[in-house]
Amino acid sequence: MSKQFSILALLACLAFGCDQQEKEAPVTEVAVSPDTVKNQQPDITVNPFANVDVSPMDMSYFPVDYPKLKMANANISPPVIRLIYSRPHLQRRALFNGILKYDEPWRLGANEASEITFYKPVGIQGKKIPAGRYIIYGIPHADKWTIILNSNIDSWGLKQDSSKDVGRFVIPILANDVTLEYFTMVFEKTDGGADLVIAWADIVARLPIRF
Amino acid sequence: MKRNAFLILWALLISFAAIAQSGLPDVDKSPMDMCHYPTQYPNLKTQDKKTEPLTARVIYSRPKKEGRQIFGGLVEYGKLWRLGANEATEIEFYRPVIIGGKKIVKGRYTLYAIVNEKSWTFIINKETDVWGSFKYSPAKDVARINVPVQQLNESIESLVMNFEKEDQTIKLVVAWENVKVALPISL
Repeated sequence: MSKQFSILALLACLAFGCDQQEKEAPVTEVAVSPDTVKNQQPDITVNPFANVDVSPMDMSYFPVDYPKLKMANANISPPVIRLIYSRPHLQRRALFNGILKYDEPWRLGANEASEITFYKPVGIQGKKIPAGRYIIYGIPHADKWTIILNSNIDSWGLKQDSSKDVGRFVIPILANDVTLEYFTMVFEKTDGGADLVIAWADIVARLPIRF
Repeated sequence: MKRNAFLILWALLISFAAIAQSGLPDVDKSPMDMCHYPTQYPNLKTQDKKTEPLTARVIYSRPKKEGRQIFGGLVEYGKLWRLGANEATEIEFYRPVIIGGKKIVKGRYTLYAIVNEKSWTFIINKETDVWGSFKYSPAKDVARINVPVQQLNESIESLVMNFEKEDQTIKLVVAWENVKVALPISL
């Protein structure tokens, strides 16, 4: 199995290698794994009403894929969490000391502030969070994230108003075994709740949410 | 032969990618987007430039034309359409509004359309957090309104929605291919 993997990886490098050398400047800081190269078309399309965003928006639910589950089961109980965020991509930039700066707040996305809705009260690191809608942002440090819930909803992500912070939570940053071209946030079921998985480039962090 | 080899390689790459991503989701082919009335509200709010409160927000996905016939083709005339892709389109009102003579209380709704050549029927439905239009129930409708189709001189590649304002009515403008329609929302 692992031999198959190495062959595939080699094939992938070969398949994309030539193309990249023709079109791109020599790669410097970041080695992008072959699994994500296929996404590297420019996403922007000019539109007379509203251009398509370079960093596309996406939505994650817990339970995972809730709208699809609801399609299969009309009597399903309401969702627990919904997250709406935009997905910037590396585009050959380094994540740290490139896109992100240590100890500087980041909107955990792009464009509009990332929005998280709890459909019922939840607990995070012992703090009770009432049901409702919040924005979520983060401060990266060398080995940990500070993740912040804030009540300044319907805002643009660049300027955080910390006077409206609802909670701050420190979680470790771990190495990931894959490299992700696109910033990714999803939920994973745990005993007693779900983790918000925050992954980009070769790092991943998990914010445990209890409900 | 060369083409076959390429196809096989491509298939291998795709399966490799699926495994390597560890189940984390890929970027959607039809990316999601959001529009507000007032237009660019989050931007204005953050720059302290807002002059009126947030009234409405739409979250939708933006499929591309990609050379296909959209209306009367991909989107069949007379059939219910999710007005986007993937999750059904969501419209949220932050105050009471009136659509098609019906008073609508503030809250989240799902927005569908039945598309015809000369007119569209917009449907506001109170079942939220849904995928597509597969489980649509008319019993959950809160309003329906017929609006005429306007032809555009240019072709729009990606489905787009945007709010405009005229007197005391805001309009959700929906455009794709060479067609534009406007859903009137009275305040």
